[in-house]
Amino acid sequence: MDVERIKFERTGGFAGMRIAADFELSDLPEEQAHTLAELLDDLDFAELPEQLLSDSSMSDQFSYTITVETEKWKHTIVTGDSSAPEKMQELLQMLNQIARKQARKH
Amino acid sequence: MHKHHPIHCIVPPHMLKEIAANGTESQKKLALETITSSAQLRAERLKMAEFRTEFASAIFKATTGGKERIVYDAKNGSSLPGTLVRKEGDAPVADVGVNEAYDGSGTTYDLYNEIYQRNSIDANGMRLDSTVHYQKGYDNAFWDGKQMVYGDGDEDQPVSDRLFNRFTIAIDIIGHELTHGVTQFEAKLTYFQQPGALNESMSDVFGSLVKQYQLQQTASQADWIIGAGLFTSNVNGVGIRSMKAPGTAYNDPVLGKDPQPAHMKDYVNTISDNGGVHINSGIPNHAFYLTAVEIGGNAWEKAGQIWYLTLRDKLTSSSKFQDCATQTYQVAGSLFGAGSLEQQAVKNGWAGVGLNVEAPTEPGGGCLAALLRLLGLGK
Repeated sequence: MDVERIKFERTGGFAGMRIAADFELSDLPEEQAHTLAELLDDLDFAELPEQLLSDSSMSDQFSYTITVETEKWKHTIVTGDSSAPEKMQELLQMLNQIARKQARKH
Repeated sequence: MHKHHPIHCIVPPHMLKEIAANGTESQKKLALETITSSAQLRAERLKMAEFRTEFASAIFKATTGGKERIVYDAKNGSSLPGTLVRKEGDAPVADVGVNEAYDGSGTTYDLYNEIYQRNSIDANGMRLDSTVHYQKGYDNAFWDGKQMVYGDGDEDQPVSDRLFNRFTIAIDIIGHELTHGVTQFEAKLTYFQQPGALNESMSDVFGSLVKQYQLQQTASQADWIIGAGLFTSNVNGVGIRSMKAPGTAYNDPVLGKDPQPAHMKDYVNTISDNGGVHINSGIPNHAFYLTAVEIGGNAWEKAGQIWYLTLRDKLTSSSKFQDCATQTYQVAGSLFGAGSLEQQAVKNGWAGVGLNVEAPTEPGGGCLAALLRLLGLGK
């Protein structure tokens, strides 16, 4: 898939602070863009359910909303720390890092 | 091996004594033998029963006993609980985060146990499990329904960009997370909108009380800051939340301004953060602060007791701020008397955040009215 744009929002957490990022994949350093595209591909992102949530306690956990856009489709999912599958953790960590960098620039 | 004669099991001791005194010679002999062996048997049985009791008690202590803590290391991964690095009774280790998780959960256990007579999170000696070093650059701590989880802040960033230290650094964060466990076993406040903000507030209240208890500070000496020391020096802020002055904990170019209201007129309607659970908790937080300061002395003693009993016995999953105000007022009346200074302080505390508490108007109206009715003098 040719990912063009990613929107990411993280809310909740002990501190209750929101961070977000909205970027074109082409804006990222090449290596990072490549890794991100691979992670999304591995997850088969377009096929993920919109709500990836579990019944476990949400106390102070982060809530994540991720939207991925390609030329052909756009898909949004919502998930949380405990409910995100193990395979998704690397993606979340990378998006967190990008969002924090963006927050520090503004 | 004991030889079992039918008489051993059937004839009661008092009857054996009669036979030994009044029976024929052979009856006397048999009765005496039986009395002796029965006495031995009873002594053995008694010993066995005592042993069983002691054994059961030992088993009980091992599974539902006193303070029992385990700290795990996730080694920057996401798998929980991770590798065991310190268990109850172990000496401190080199890793400061591990020791903070261990000591902080211990002090939290002590506050609940010594002051509120509660044996751990579930009131039944539940083991306190913590995991430190969760993921990389994880600037958060949470309770997952079974254990506490702590990140190291944004240690993955260059020092000049770091905003957060490790999340075990402030003991009130540890008390906060453990109290989510207590709430899970008691009021079960739904983690959304007002019940969610009450859930958060209870965690801040008892988190702060754990710190005050550790430092032996009175209500007027305490800083009432949640997460003091969590920010690095790059942040303009004293902590994550202020119970004394919600909305003033930080004001920073990167993190923005502390969004907490201190009054119902500033209540924030939002869908973000599960309906603002970490935002509107400022309102009940401040009510507790006002109450504790008005009562004076150690906040964990009277104000803490009122809030604890309200959380344990009165609130439900859908309770809102007004319910909490009404219930804390009633609990204060039961504990310290209707119209007592403590009850008045609770009323004033909630009034300070814009919530009014009225005395019950239904027939009942307190002890005096009930007594008068009983004597046939009341309505």
